[in-house]
Amino acid sequence: METKVLVAVIVVIVIIAAVGAYFALSGEKKEKPATPSTVIYGYNVEMITLDPSTEYSNSIVMLPNLYEALTKYVNGDIKPWLATSWEVSSNATVWTFHLRENVKFHSGNPLTAEDVKWSIERTIRMGLGASFIWDPVKEVKVIDDYTVEFDLKYPYNLLVSTSAAYAAYIMDSKFLSQKGNDAQIAEYLNEGHDAGSGPYYLTSYDPKTEVVMKKFDDYWGGWNDKQFDIAIIKIVPDASLREQMVTSNEIQITRELPLDDIPTLENNPNVKVDATPNYQELYAMLNTVKPPLNNKLVRKALAYATPYQDLVEYVLNGYGEVAKCPIPKGMSGYFEDLPTYTYNLSKARELLNESGYSGGFHFLLTYNAADVAEKKVAEFLKSSWSKIGVDLEVRAMNWEQQWALGRSDPQKAQDVFIFYWWPDYLSPYDFLATMFHSEEETYFNLCYYNNSEFDDLVDQALILEGIDMQKALSLYHEAEEILMEDCPALCLYYPEDVYVYSNTITGFRDNPAYPQVVFFYELQKTS
Amino acid sequence: MKLWEYIIYRLVLAIVVIFFVITIVFFVSRVIPSDPAALWVGAHPTPEEIEKAKEELHLNEPLITQFYYYLRGLLHGDLGISIRTHHPVLEDITKAFTATLELIIVAEFFAVIIGIVLGVYSAVKKDSWIDNLGRLFAISGVSLPAFWFGMVLQLLFFRQLGWLPLSGRVDTIVMLEHPLHVITGLYILDSLITGNWVVFKNAIWHIILPALTLAMYPVGLITRQARSMMIEVLQENYIRTARAYGLPERIIYMKYALKNAIAPALIVVGLSLAYTLVGAFLVEIIFNWPGLGRYATYAILSMDYPAIIGVVIIAASAYVFINLIVDLIQMYLDPRIRV
Repeated sequence: METKVLVAVIVVIVIIAAVGAYFALSGEKKEKPATPSTVIYGYNVEMITLDPSTEYSNSIVMLPNLYEALTKYVNGDIKPWLATSWEVSSNATVWTFHLRENVKFHSGNPLTAEDVKWSIERTIRMGLGASFIWDPVKEVKVIDDYTVEFDLKYPYNLLVSTSAAYAAYIMDSKFLSQKGNDAQIAEYLNEGHDAGSGPYYLTSYDPKTEVVMKKFDDYWGGWNDKQFDIAIIKIVPDASLREQMVTSNEIQITRELPLDDIPTLENNPNVKVDATPNYQELYAMLNTVKPPLNNKLVRKALAYATPYQDLVEYVLNGYGEVAKCPIPKGMSGYFEDLPTYTYNLSKARELLNESGYSGGFHFLLTYNAADVAEKKVAEFLKSSWSKIGVDLEVRAMNWEQQWALGRSDPQKAQDVFIFYWWPDYLSPYDFLATMFHSEEETYFNLCYYNNSEFDDLVDQALILEGIDMQKALSLYHEAEEILMEDCPALCLYYPEDVYVYSNTITGFRDNPAYPQVVFFYELQKTS
Repeated sequence: MKLWEYIIYRLVLAIVVIFFVITIVFFVSRVIPSDPAALWVGAHPTPEEIEKAKEELHLNEPLITQFYYYLRGLLHGDLGISIRTHHPVLEDITKAFTATLELIIVAEFFAVIIGIVLGVYSAVKKDSWIDNLGRLFAISGVSLPAFWFGMVLQLLFFRQLGWLPLSGRVDTIVMLEHPLHVITGLYILDSLITGNWVVFKNAIWHIILPALTLAMYPVGLITRQARSMMIEVLQENYIRTARAYGLPERIIYMKYALKNAIAPALIVVGLSLAYTLVGAFLVEIIFNWPGLGRYATYAILSMDYPAIIGVVIIAASAYVFINLIVDLIQMYLDPRIRV
């Protein structure tokens, strides 16, 4: 018995060792997960929902691979997608789209105007997510199988909505109507199904681990043998793990790696680094109703006391640019000729003296604790602003808490709110109105800015967008000038989106209009 | 007290403990200023959506009413809907828990074998180099942070040697080519039952590094415990008698000493099981293991209170029941406790 125990223990150990050795010697290590026809995108957050009508979150990385919209942004221009051409009435209230023929959904059903009407109407009816992009629409009319007409309530540039990254996708109406009512369809889709016409269809969906998509053989765009048969989105929250995976080709493409490591990766022969400005901007929203920042001179003093270029170097390692206006570079509404603030300490001190706060003051900044960049920004601002004798308290909060405080009584809220905005639809209005238009109840106007002249200008400009874009832009320019002068927020920087991808793939192009999306159809094998 | 009475007494006690834990966690997680409605609707919502969410989540009602709703759901086995993922918490947790359970079982398996063997040898060869090595190993196991150790293992066995995979439970491609019919959620067991050898091999392959990392702490504990108990037992009179009778050393160690030394070591195994549940939080992040730890981390970071309470219930239950089982095993092994 005594020896038996010892023998048993030894046997178990030997078995483990033998199994290990067997695996080690059987060449398992050569079985790289990426067989030639598979491409894996390592993504940092989990999927939430999958219904194109309501999805307004991370699953954006899947949707444009499974579904298509009428039009698509490419390099800032609007290009045909499911619509091949379109016309607009002179007063911009009637938009007619001509659909691509011989497009098939994954079920085999052909795409018709009926599908467009059904999809947009369902999105409007459900009223969730980004459905507000269809607010101007009065009626969607089917003219014939391949022509669809949108009648609007007021003049509007509808292409902004038909190219949107959310809520613009066209679904297979015949297939989905069989699944029941809107809620039942949503349930069906969220379980992990799709009903699109995109180049890939969904084969397996585990929102916390991975999503597998296979190529749709009947895709209207056709296929060549360099493209990938299987596209996988793998959820890997840990950044350093994603970095290890992409450098060893366990995954082929990823983003959101630690910026400190990017210079090393640029020298790594196995991977390529792609840094493209995205349509994002980071602001310091200043509380314009609570002392001391309700004083314009104080706000301006802070604006001059901020070393913008150093901030970009320190926080983004240079992967970004100093912001020149409230609209991201590359979007319409971005103007380089606006008066901007540059780092000038003596001017800052002068303004502070003039304001009567020369003795300094204590004030509070809040930022999103989950965001490493915001943390660095907060610390940097604290040390920079201390040079003009003001004492900034920085407070890390989770986003929901930070926003809840921001929406509470402005007199008790934070003084500075570090805030990102990225477009829901590519119009300057989305930025200017969301953050600076007066609000009855605080929402995203976290500077509590209230200027009726500014409000009128942007409201008019939105309507003009559909009729006369030039005129609209000149109004936006005027509005932005007012903002720069009143200084309700500091425009800090435009970050770049940094993707790192294996040199086994080519054809990757970051499209900032569809943030975080990898269009798998565009990718090709290098060998 | 009869055994079954004792068990019922302990179970009732367990339910009381868990109820208090739920109450505390519910109120603490709700008193911290946050906005569950904002989390529910996601980025860039409209005011109407927020209002709608508040109604759906009963956020406009008093906290005590919300607590009542929660308890009512709980009695029906409903842990609520996660605010972050919009999935039923129970479903999420079950799935995550099986992944963690598999990891913990394998880790404890490693820990017991390595720990007991190392402990016994250290005791027998007290103050020799084996003992010193064992001590070093045990101390580093207890004191080295799991995330550091895990990364070292990754560097060595994946980067340098290329023997073991970097992360995950099983390779995506393997799963695609050999789909696994999931029965228990423990991949190793499921693939064994269904005879899916490719996945079986792949799953074992993947679990080695995270399980070893997780085993480090219990290895240290068990080694030290087994060693000190063994040394104590070896000084007992009956061992001296056995020696005097001229019994072979091996029989003395394995038959007479180990049996008495192992009972206290088992308690440590039980306690370390609870620890590994916590340790799994970090290990799962490093190895991208889709388990309870990762789920809990996200839940806490985003103040997703139904998910937080769900995890706490699971963790508290695990603690309480592991303790109960350890006590019962101990009673079985050691007649002195039974009175």
